[in-house]
Amino acid sequence: MKDVMLQISALTVHAGGKPILQNFSLEVGEGEQVLVTAPSGMGKSTLLRCVLGFLTPQGGSIALQGEPVNDQSIWALRRQMSYVAQEPVLGNGTVRDILARPFDYHANRDLRHNLDRVPDLLRQLRLPQEIAEQQMESLSGGEKQRIALIAALLLDRPLLLLDEISASLDRDSAEAVFTTLAGLQEQTVLAVGHHADALPKADRIEMLPYGSGQQGEIQ
Amino acid sequence: MTETIDISGPGMIAAYCLLLIPLAMLLWQGVSILGRVTIAAVRMTVQLLFVGLYLQFVFNLNNAWLNCAWLLIMILVADVSILRHCRLRVRWFGPSLFVALLVGTAVPVLYFTTLILRRPHSMEARYLIPIGGMILGNCLRADIIGIRHFYDTIKRDSRTFEQSLAQGAELREAIRPYLREAFHNAVSPTIATMMTIGLVSLPGMMTGVILGGQPPVTAIRYQIAIMIAIFTGTAIAVPCAILMSLKCGFLPSGPLKSDVFAG
Repeated sequence: MKDVMLQISALTVHAGGKPILQNFSLEVGEGEQVLVTAPSGMGKSTLLRCVLGFLTPQGGSIALQGEPVNDQSIWALRRQMSYVAQEPVLGNGTVRDILARPFDYHANRDLRHNLDRVPDLLRQLRLPQEIAEQQMESLSGGEKQRIALIAALLLDRPLLLLDEISASLDRDSAEAVFTTLAGLQEQTVLAVGHHADALPKADRIEMLPYGSGQQGEIQ
Repeated sequence: MTETIDISGPGMIAAYCLLLIPLAMLLWQGVSILGRVTIAAVRMTVQLLFVGLYLQFVFNLNNAWLNCAWLLIMILVADVSILRHCRLRVRWFGPSLFVALLVGTAVPVLYFTTLILRRPHSMEARYLIPIGGMILGNCLRADIIGIRHFYDTIKRDSRTFEQSLAQGAELREAIRPYLREAFHNAVSPTIATMMTIGLVSLPGMMTGVILGGQPPVTAIRYQIAIMIAIFTGTAIAVPCAILMSLKCGFLPSGPLKSDVFAG
């Protein structure tokens, strides 16, 4: 039996008096890759935002490696997670600058050597090496998404949170992303998407109970 | 040099008569703000009469406590005015901004009166109130630009901001680029003024000193010193105001509070 990486219990999130998530529970084991599916606007992104501590749920609890997520613990717990948003906005500058930026943060300074992995990751994700010198604003949506994934992988965190990771990707690029994710040995993945093909190599697929909440996401 | 020439009653009537020219121009061009102009002129007169009488009283008394109290009232008015302009909640941000404005005004004004003018009493009304008012007025303008830019940009770029939190940034690390940009924008007008001062127009303080009967060289010395004091005040007040407001503007878990803006 694997240890539990992420425990979500009876999570309830309301917005404007309407439920977005209602009594949602999920357990993700260490090293497991789990996909949560639901139609658009049914609370998938809200779920990830709760795990990241950006939203405070009205009910239920979230624990990471046994540690409950709350206003105090979240700062340390975020350093156990990486997040790739559906439409990543990483800021302005060259790709190289954007990838290096998180290593200026106190929490990541010791990991700066991980930047040596950039050429390999670019290759794995079918991106040209020259892209490192390009401005982020000049990239396509699919390129931005893969750069965001590289930024997340470089941080080497135990839990990877992925929001519609293949939404902007063509088939070849999506395949490269899935192969890279399948090759992760120790990291746990919680992905959300519309369909099962959002993470085809997932160990497990869970559905957000349809109709448990009202349509809408909290941004 | 000659003494200051007072403006007599007929002189003041002549000054008000000058208003007829802009009023006529507005009428001629069909700009329907005559009512507003009249109200503005009346308000200006009443406010300045009140301030003039009060300042006369304060100057005659020249009591350090009263002078400080007057400065504190000016800071309080500036505090509320900044937050209203920035559309931020006065109850949340008022106290921290008050402290930032107090520090941003008190440090340069006390430095000015004590070390530049070398007055035996640093709280003298004649110096503390006008110089404090000039520094505070500029802090007000800089704080409006800086604070509004800071919160508006984070609200607009909330996803980028939250991405940095997700990447492990502490709150102070995540706000750093926004603070830097807000600070830059806030002090830019003062720097631009310093670049063109004397070329485009004669600044108010210099004009005042010259009209007060002092030689232009003395006026220039005053102007240089006050410009540096103003720049110092804004450079203290803006980052202090932003950093001290973080507890009110952000959730304990990091993101910007959704109801940070009033109304």
